[in-house]
Amino acid sequence: MRPLPKFQYHAPKTLAEAVELMNTLDNAKPVIGGTDLVPLLREAACRPSHLVDLNNVAELNYVREEDGFICIGATTTHSQVAASELMRKAPAVVDAVSRIGSPQIRNRGSVAGNLCNASPAADSAPPLLVYDAEVEIVSGDETAIIPLPELFAGPKINSLEPNELVTEIRFPVPPESSSSSFKRIARRKAFTLSMVSAAAYVEMEGGVCTEARVAFGSVAETPIRAPGVEELLAGKELDSQTISDAEEAAKQGVAPITDVRGTAEYRKAMCGVLLRRALNTAVGRLS
Amino acid sequence: MEVSFELNGEPVTVTVEPYVSLLDMLRGEMGVKSVKKGCEQGECGACTLLIDGAPVTSCLVLAPQVEGRHVTTIEGLEKNSLMIDLREAFIENGAVQCGFCTPGMLMSAYALLRDNPHPSMDEVKMGIEGNICRCTGYTKIIEAILDAVERIAPE
Amino acid sequence: MEYDKILSEILGRNDFLVVGKNIVRTDALDKALGKARYTADYIPKGTTLLKVYRSTVPHALIKNVDTAEALEVPGVEAIYTGADVTGNNQIGYALPDQPFLNDKKVHFIGDPIALVCARDEYALENAFQKISVEYEELPAMLDIDASLSEDAVYIHEGGNIALTTRIRKGDAEKGFSEADVEVEETYWSPYQEHMYLETEAAYAVPESGKVTVICNGQSPFLVREKVAHVLGWSLNQVRIIQALTGGAFGGKDDQGPVVAAYAAFAATKLGKPVAHVWDRTESVSYSNKRFPARIKYRSGATEEGKVTAVEVDITLECGAYANRAPFWLWRQTAHAAGPYEVDNCSVDGRAVYTNKVYGGSFRGFGDLALHFAAESQMERLAYELDMDPIEFRLRNVLRVGSRTTCDQVLDHSVGIEQCLKAVRDASDWSNHREPVWEGSKVRGYGVGLAYHGISTSRGTPDWSAASILLNQDGSVTYRTGIVEIGQGSPFGHVKIVSEIIGVPPENIRIELPDTDSTLNAKPTHGSRGLMLGGTAAAKAAIRLRENMASCAAELFEIPSERVQLSDGRAYDKENSETSISVRELAEEMYNRGYDPGAYGYFKAPKRFFDPETGLGVNYSVYTFAATVAEVEVDTETGEASVLRVWPAMDCGKAIDPLMVEGQIEGAISQGMGFALMENMELKDGLVINPGFKDYIVPSSMDTPQIEPSIIVEEPYRHGAFGAKGVGEPAIISVVPTITNAIHHATGLWFNAIPVRPWTMYKALKEAEP
Repeated sequence: MRPLPKFQYHAPKTLAEAVELMNTLDNAKPVIGGTDLVPLLREAACRPSHLVDLNNVAELNYVREEDGFICIGATTTHSQVAASELMRKAPAVVDAVSRIGSPQIRNRGSVAGNLCNASPAADSAPPLLVYDAEVEIVSGDETAIIPLPELFAGPKINSLEPNELVTEIRFPVPPESSSSSFKRIARRKAFTLSMVSAAAYVEMEGGVCTEARVAFGSVAETPIRAPGVEELLAGKELDSQTISDAEEAAKQGVAPITDVRGTAEYRKAMCGVLLRRALNTAVGRLS
Repeated sequence: MEVSFELNGEPVTVTVEPYVSLLDMLRGEMGVKSVKKGCEQGECGACTLLIDGAPVTSCLVLAPQVEGRHVTTIEGLEKNSLMIDLREAFIENGAVQCGFCTPGMLMSAYALLRDNPHPSMDEVKMGIEGNICRCTGYTKIIEAILDAVERIAPE
Repeated sequence: MEYDKILSEILGRNDFLVVGKNIVRTDALDKALGKARYTADYIPKGTTLLKVYRSTVPHALIKNVDTAEALEVPGVEAIYTGADVTGNNQIGYALPDQPFLNDKKVHFIGDPIALVCARDEYALENAFQKISVEYEELPAMLDIDASLSEDAVYIHEGGNIALTTRIRKGDAEKGFSEADVEVEETYWSPYQEHMYLETEAAYAVPESGKVTVICNGQSPFLVREKVAHVLGWSLNQVRIIQALTGGAFGGKDDQGPVVAAYAAFAATKLGKPVAHVWDRTESVSYSNKRFPARIKYRSGATEEGKVTAVEVDITLECGAYANRAPFWLWRQTAHAAGPYEVDNCSVDGRAVYTNKVYGGSFRGFGDLALHFAAESQMERLAYELDMDPIEFRLRNVLRVGSRTTCDQVLDHSVGIEQCLKAVRDASDWSNHREPVWEGSKVRGYGVGLAYHGISTSRGTPDWSAASILLNQDGSVTYRTGIVEIGQGSPFGHVKIVSEIIGVPPENIRIELPDTDSTLNAKPTHGSRGLMLGGTAAAKAAIRLRENMASCAAELFEIPSERVQLSDGRAYDKENSETSISVRELAEEMYNRGYDPGAYGYFKAPKRFFDPETGLGVNYSVYTFAATVAEVEVDTETGEASVLRVWPAMDCGKAIDPLMVEGQIEGAISQGMGFALMENMELKDGLVINPGFKDYIVPSSMDTPQIEPSIIVEEPYRHGAFGAKGVGEPAIISVVPTITNAIHHATGLWFNAIPVRPWTMYKALKEAEP
């Protein structure tokens, strides 16, 4: 383990200040909770010359509904999101953020930070993927909105330019006829990286699934959606045969690796099991 | 740089480099040794303290990030009645063996009971899931927290 | 004297004051207030920091070490290598195979090469980047089979086998010929890391001709010996103060001397204080681990359920150095048949070097791996014979008069049968003979037994010592070399002393072990801290009591047999109105010439061991334990959860039942971790999971429901109040209890641990018809 690199520290109070800093400083990184960044600094995995702390930018801390979207400000912590009344409309998100890490991690770590760290095991990713989340990115004078999948470029590599800041994550307010669930398996019952995770989103009408969205974590280089599984489910009654077919399709559709957190064969199989469990829970939540 | 914050209710200003963790600032610059260093990766909970009342692992917090905040270590809760109940429950239930995890564990337990005065056993386990103990196996710690619930004087 | 009879014979009463009752341990308050000080807490700001520069390759000759550029780094104060050691460049424990600083070759990734002293971590980091070592790499022996193969490269001179062991008791082949069923399997038990919350640390302060080291560890006198040896100094030039230690489990017994020696050496060379604190990465990567072991085990039994023979072949993986291997392997060898009377035992063992992090002390000291094998075998035999696993064990357990694997006759204090019956009844075993399904989850029950010879083995002289000082105001100062590592043994001593001299525990202060003023109690390992250390405390207390009673008798004008000491007072047994406070008594003792200080030296009874046959009286006494567990397996995901555990232990006499239970519960957690989730991941000799993130230990959420510990008391004659050791016996049966429960639930046998979800899942799939 190394001592923290000798960076300079900046604590802007407004978004404008933060954007300006990111634009002008060379080799700068934003920091919110630091729960991923600080360990990376100690491993000397990155050596920023400047840290721009966003925690004092009050305008970035919120969970709100706006223009048909549920919006999460960049500095909003997992604890804050988990406690949000509004987020109950997206149960899979609450499932994930209420159990990420430990209470201490949840009190510091932000959803935005979790996503920007871009680990394939990021627990907040599969739920937000099934809600078709978008990410607002600000740099210099520009604001861009990209679909969440485009944020992930590779394992622990995000697609942001060095001067870009994520300011908000948002997703369309889901219809009342929808629900979701997030499931994970880990090497022990608490506070450890997921071996496999799955999120399922369903819209049901008259016993038929009108739309299904499925995402997996820890089975690819990034968190991923599973369109093959989604197609299979759409327009069907979610009886045990359909769900069983979806389970099989889930397994076939992924090519995970073997590492200290599990074997490839196991991860494939668990995609199916977790998908089935997530679907059952999501459907159950609607009744 | 200078960092001004409140430590256990007292305003303090410390001159420290920004690349020093809150844990190192407390232990090094300020001589607060009750906060323990177990892993420096946010994985063991031994360094747990409260920032604005929320339990966090101080090894992941940068010193300047507590500017203007309230930081509470176990010394700050010594006379707090909930902490007194917890502390007595820990001691009397055999929940303290080597004691290295104890300050951090008590901080997490304190925050748990403060926010949820009647937790179920599962909620107790979840409340301390970020604190590793290698000596007790958690059983007496969980019993102590549930015992503390009984001791808390009704309002 | 028979120490188990102190209450009746010496104290002349039937009721205990403090022994056997749950008394709040006196060190708990400071720990809960955050005031307790551990080694790193003593280090002043600005102290020179020391970090060990280590090998980055697993096996190589050192051709050159270039530190010139590193020495130029601002803030670097010194860099020492083997060439700077003027004393002895050797710190091996049992065998002289472990250089203090390697200058000829390196034997594992992490092998120490140089000590770098600098003013801060940044200077250290810069210096490290500028040190260059020229290696001539050798083929790395990365597993036992590589080390034993014909074209293996020798890691140390003399070959890759550090030692061998052997027991022949009776005639194994004859025993097998009498058997109706036979089972043979090979078991693998890997590394385990202690993961104590407090990492290794030492703070050394030199003065002219002396060095003082505050450090964490388990044996201050061993630390002193090793530090003096490296420095080439006399023992009285080295002062070791063993600070309160944040968990040890054996690991700090081994690392304590090494870490203290680095700090002491650098401090004396530099002429200024040096601080040496390991970070978690270092601790997990480089400190000693539980020795891995491969055990091939063949067992035979008759139809009636009598085990007639065992043939056990143990290959212990040392890693780079032998360290404790001779003691570890001999313990496994001497316990090989498990807690059963087996007339015919053939045991062969060998300890093999590999180019990986070395093994060493860890709670259980070889008996975990051994019992995983032995208890799995007993389970298999039971199933072969279609007998209830507990019934089958009851037909074979050791009893008073039985002979153990090493042909030691157990003449008293054998409580295994009671333990087994107790957990059988408490768990309602007979009503849980079938696995129970609920959806995809299935639950099973498993049983495991253990025995563990307390303290050191093979006839090694075993003794301990303690001292008590009754101060003029009636307060008491107690000194023991037994270290407080969380287990509470020193407090156990205080209770023993308190019981005997009648001063309440809160008025007896335990001083930190300090080799300048504390008597050598020998190490805090082998679960001997209370048993040996406590008996020495008892001896001292009995001596002091005599003087206190004599003085009180003089004051009361009665025979001293009538003096009772309790509640901080001395009484006339026949007239309780006649009494004096211990404060007044102490003053009188000083004035009247009654010695207020007492020293107790206790030597364990002589044991005999024949290294040729491996037979003899190997251990003073054994502690016995039994556990039953209910385990649930989710057959869809392969996850195993331990739901409930029923533990029982014969510890002779529970000096403090709450502390005994605390040891049992902590041990269950560590054993469960080892069985289900902990694993050292090495790639080409490099530890790739050096932290809590990927070395998974149980969290609060994994805690099973542990039923109240059933304490069986079969007193040990030579332990104070009959006490035997507790800390290690508590862990030994846990692994097979869990794997036997998994077998009951799923029908799967596992011969290797940990059984992690993907391993279980794969086995379940393969077992599907």
